[in-house]
Amino acid sequence: MSTVLQLKSITKTYGDMRALSGIDLALPGDAYISLLGPSGSGKTTLLRVIAGFEQPDGGAILFDGKRIDTVAPHKRGIGFVFQNFALFPHLSVAQNIAYGLENRDVDPVTDRRVVDARVRDIISLVGLSGLEGRAVTQISGGQRQRVALARTLVTEPRMVLLDEPLGALDANLRARMRAELRAIRERCGVTFLHVTGSEAEALAMGDTVLVLESGRIAQSADSDTVYNRPASPAVARFLNCYNLFQGRIEAGAFVGGAGRFALGASAPTRAATPAYAIRYDRVSVRPRDAAIGEDEIRIEANFVASEYSGAAVNSFFALDDGRVFEVESHLSHAAPETYAEQGRYALVWKREDALVYA
Amino acid sequence: MSMMAVAEETEMEPVVEKKSPGKALWLLAPGVIWMSLFLVLPMLMMVYVSFWTQTTFTIEPTLTLKSWITFFTSDTYLGALWTTVRIWLIVLVATVLVGYPAALFVGLFVKNKALQTVLLVLCVIPFWTSFLIRVLAWRPMLGKEGAINMILMNLGITDAPIEVLLFSELSVIIGMTQIYCVFMVGPIAFMLGRIDTSIIEAAQDLGAGFWRIFRTIILPLSMPGVVVGAIFVSVMVLGEFATSAALSGRKVNLLGNIIVTQVGSLKWAFAAVAGVVLTILMGAVVAALLRVVDLRKEL
Repeated sequence: MSTVLQLKSITKTYGDMRALSGIDLALPGDAYISLLGPSGSGKTTLLRVIAGFEQPDGGAILFDGKRIDTVAPHKRGIGFVFQNFALFPHLSVAQNIAYGLENRDVDPVTDRRVVDARVRDIISLVGLSGLEGRAVTQISGGQRQRVALARTLVTEPRMVLLDEPLGALDANLRARMRAELRAIRERCGVTFLHVTGSEAEALAMGDTVLVLESGRIAQSADSDTVYNRPASPAVARFLNCYNLFQGRIEAGAFVGGAGRFALGASAPTRAATPAYAIRYDRVSVRPRDAAIGEDEIRIEANFVASEYSGAAVNSFFALDDGRVFEVESHLSHAAPETYAEQGRYALVWKREDALVYA
Repeated sequence: MSMMAVAEETEMEPVVEKKSPGKALWLLAPGVIWMSLFLVLPMLMMVYVSFWTQTTFTIEPTLTLKSWITFFTSDTYLGALWTTVRIWLIVLVATVLVGYPAALFVGLFVKNKALQTVLLVLCVIPFWTSFLIRVLAWRPMLGKEGAINMILMNLGITDAPIEVLLFSELSVIIGMTQIYCVFMVGPIAFMLGRIDTSIIEAAQDLGAGFWRIFRTIILPLSMPGVVVGAIFVSVMVLGEFATSAALSGRKVNLLGNIIVTQVGSLKWAFAAVAGVVLTILMGAVVAALLRVVDLRKEL
């Protein structure tokens, strides 16, 4: 796959705040890429820099091998789908979609019939048939999302940037639009760069997942790798499925506030600060007197509460230092267990399941 | 206990629903009474008086069309009507041409809300001086030996003073545009300030250049502001008499000036005719402006 967009050490500062501190990135053509980052990590800034709404302080942006960081946004040929959709409120659905074709500086389409035909094609592609004449204030959130997407796609950009495109939709619609966005992208064959703050959305949608953390790309890998082998404690924390411990490595064991955990055979991952991470669903809850295996690690904690989410139940335990430890039990294997309030339990996991950063 | 509460509530509900519209209507009473006593009634009186018989010094309640016929056959009155319409149109265009760019700057290019307010307040500064002082200040500026003529002559741009600057239609237009411009800037800046910047960015992203975006997005979305501003300016300019009296040396007679003169010489019936004509003209202008944009939809 050829590289469509390349960023070379892009920096951007607002006052004293470093929004982007040296982003290096190469995005392939014809792929769905999700960019995951907590709020304030600079993900919207990065998108706006690529689109040209903000000027980077340093670095270079190459699009199709040509430098575009000095090119005006309306001449870049990169599509942008806004979080609030930013539809033109005084135009109808069809007029919104036709806007780019008719009004662009570079190579505008003046033939009414060509415009109409392309608008009709894209309307059926995104599933908006029958709504052409409606005002954009008279359609639902999901339909507005489609108009925003169609308006961008009809101009045939080589790349589309989506800024939290599902953020304004309700949960039901969000799940449906996920599959639909992927399908639409496959039919168009362009690269989508989808920014989101939701780890589930990023993992579900991206062929490649980029994790942005305080102005830097912390990890760039496929969903499975990001989920199972987060590159740093920060990425692990942000995935919202790991219990993390701070501490240090001493003589084949990780020593932290919660105790001494013997290390497995695999070498620790390199990171700025040492940390020990164990995934929520790798931990089992047992009575205090139950025996443990040789390769297992055991700590004790008090049960606080549990949260039922259908396919799984998440139980929260308070460690002796007051920190919360979360355990996820999948209900396809067993009926939900009930734990006594404030009861003390043993939390057990296999040495090899833990991720160690040093 | 809870069952009883529910039962009570359901019984109460229809009573509340029946009463509320009647109660709410009382809120209108002060406004309706005030406006009918001091606006509607005097206006009806004016229409009635315009049909009274006018003799040199008295006026009698004998109905006649004479004043109306005199008005529409006299060159003086028809000329005043035409001057009023002409000056109104020129001032309207001038306030849009001067006000729109200013509003565009304040409403769209100034991102800081506090600075926006400061700039709008700056537009209101002319109103901190009294009308009379403001209008009189134009005389040493525009006069034959005024500042503008002095500068032009000293720079060698003109040989003789430009006399048309003061006591002419031009001076009236200059003065009115200066005074009423702010009523155009305010509503337009308000509408422009409400345009979501991401809409303009979206248009940019779709490939449109600045002038395209201005014509297809910014201008249509700010039209309600232009219409509201135009209504303000129109109503004020059409009713003007003071600026034209002070700056034209009585050479420019608007309908307003005619009314003042007629009332001054006790010609009540004529004054009433001019008043009715002026009111109808204003009503027609406002109605026409409201047809341009559906304000109910936009605001």
